[in-house]
Amino acid sequence: MKGKFVCVVCPTSCDVNAEWNETELLSIDHAQCKLAWEFIRGEIFDPRRTVTTSIMVDGGELPLVSVKTRTPVPKAQVLAVMDRLADVMVRAPVDIGEVIVPDVLGTGSDVVATRKVKHKG
Amino acid sequence: MRTEAVDVAIVGGGPSGMAAAVAARRAGAEKVVLLERGEQLGGILNQCIHDGFGTKVFEQALTGPEYAQIYIDRMEETGVSYALNTMVLDLSPERELTVCSSQGLRQINAKAVVLCMGCRERTRGAIRIPGHRPAGVYTAGVVQYYMNLRNLAVGRRVVILGSGDVGLIMARRLTLEGAQVLCVAEILPYPSGLARNIVQCLDDFDIPLYLRTTVVEIHGRDRVTGVTLAQIGPHGGIVPGTKRLVECDTLLLSVGLIPENELSKKARVALSPVTGGPVVDDHLQTSVPGVFTAGNALQVHDLVDYACLEAERAGASAARYAMAGRLPAAEIAVRPGQGIRYVVPQLVSGTESVDFSMRVVSPDHDRYVIFRRDGHELRRMKENVLAPASMLRIRVRSDRFQRGAGELTVEVGA
Ligand SMILES: Cc1cc2nc3c(=O)[nH]c(=O)nc-3n(C[C@H](O)[C@H](O)[C@H](O)COP(=O)(O)OP(=O)(O)OC[C@H]3O[C@@H](n4cnc5c(N)ncnc54)[C@H](O)[C@@H]3O)c2cc1C
Ligand code: SF4
Repeated sequence: MKGKFVCVVCPTSCDVNAEWNETELLSIDHAQCKLAWEFIRGEIFDPRRTVTTSIMVDGGELPLVSVKTRTPVPKAQVLAVMDRLADVMVRAPVDIGEVIVPDVLGTGSDVVATRKVKHKG
Repeated sequence: MRTEAVDVAIVGGGPSGMAAAVAARRAGAEKVVLLERGEQLGGILNQCIHDGFGTKVFEQALTGPEYAQIYIDRMEETGVSYALNTMVLDLSPERELTVCSSQGLRQINAKAVVLCMGCRERTRGAIRIPGHRPAGVYTAGVVQYYMNLRNLAVGRRVVILGSGDVGLIMARRLTLEGAQVLCVAEILPYPSGLARNIVQCLDDFDIPLYLRTTVVEIHGRDRVTGVTLAQIGPHGGIVPGTKRLVECDTLLLSVGLIPENELSKKARVALSPVTGGPVVDDHLQTSVPGVFTAGNALQVHDLVDYACLEAERAGASAARYAMAGRLPAAEIAVRPGQGIRYVVPQLVSGTESVDFSMRVVSPDHDRYVIFRRDGHELRRMKENVLAPASMLRIRVRSDRFQRGAGELTVEVGA
């Protein structure tokens, strides 16, 4: 099979032509970097997205800490992950990379902090 | 007033300011000080919690805050001193900065200055829509700040005017937070944001994008109750019979960004009417000797990596200027030709390799970007996808400038 994809890994947004069969991605062209291969393979066989949002912090210098799923989760579970994180609250201090929710909804991906938040004051 | 002397002063603590500061230290400047009006370093990256930063330089898709942290760490490592909650109020052509903080006013005399103030959002005033001024009309970046840093929600039914990247990113963010984004209206025949953001922020959630369409009226007295959309014909008028009412409580504006240069004007730095940023040479030096600039203050960037590469060059040049008191003269003028909207830098010395940034006039594919000096071709570069939303960055090696004479033109050709 053949098809066109837009690689969304970065803002360059390469238009990529791909060829694949039932089980494998066979070739891609027009991609500017190697990150496109994994992404296109995913789009065909198992579309995933990284979820980024922010959650509440208690006693921090900021009211929120930004977080992400360490690895992309199945696209169909993105809204469920958002729901799961809706009322999570953590205590300051929070370190960058700290695990906030391990293995969120059994996706195998940890939700981690993407910034530091110090204690208030 | 307290007065302090430094080698290099950097205005703005976003990614460009930090990259410039680190580069200035690495290039040998002793005393480098960075001044940031906000309460934290990182600039706009703090509110860009989505991922996709750093793919060119770090070969990873980082979130904005993670990207900022890399430069915050580098600042500590290289010994850049910085002051937060510190606003630069004035800059003279002699590079005297008037700075305000909780300790009051002070003056900093710098041998070289790098302007990294970032950009600001265009507002509705700039586009004039009839109607009252009800609550519920915001610029996209302000909503991004409210939602991502202050935990404030803005509305439940949202129309977005303009397909700039910030608006697209917010379409997804609002949807994930449970609001209904009804549509994005774009007056141009093509989106002004990146293809990536159309795919992952609109297509992923079936949010319609209406091209050649704009908001012709805003309804509601105290709070927005709806907007009237209409199609715009090729010559600018409303296409008859295309007006329709969309009920909503919020209108988000994503109608473009403009480089922030109030301070540059005070120092009498010459600005380009096309980019909105200073006119610079290949050292990123402005028309005022010793004053340099980079990042969104120079030109609106879509990639933070390119903003930082540009800033590294500006920071290193500033250090050189601070130590030597001058840089090679840049006398070759660079002009945008067929198909090119602008090129930065606008002047080059021809003695060093130059990374040119440029944007095309309209979308195209499989074309060449060609550099010429009076008929001599210096370089041609094949580009598969050309889009006004994607800045191109192309290097021309120093030896190439020896060919031909007079001004240099850059054009899109076959
Ligand atoms: C919504 C959005 C999404 C983006 N998405 C991506 C992406 O996915 N990937 C990517 O690579 N890039 C992305 N970008 C682009 C990238 O974020 C920018 O190119 C980059 O942040 C520009 O950095 P800067 O330092 O020039 O400006 P800024 O980050 O705006 O920093 C300017 C700083 O200067 C300070 N300042 C201004 N005036 C003064 C003064 N007078 N005194 C003291 N301080 C002052 C401000 O407070 C601010 O902190 C995105 C940009 C936006 C807006
Ligand atoms: S292929 Fe590489 S450069 Fe192109 S969009 Fe994907 S990540 Fe970006």
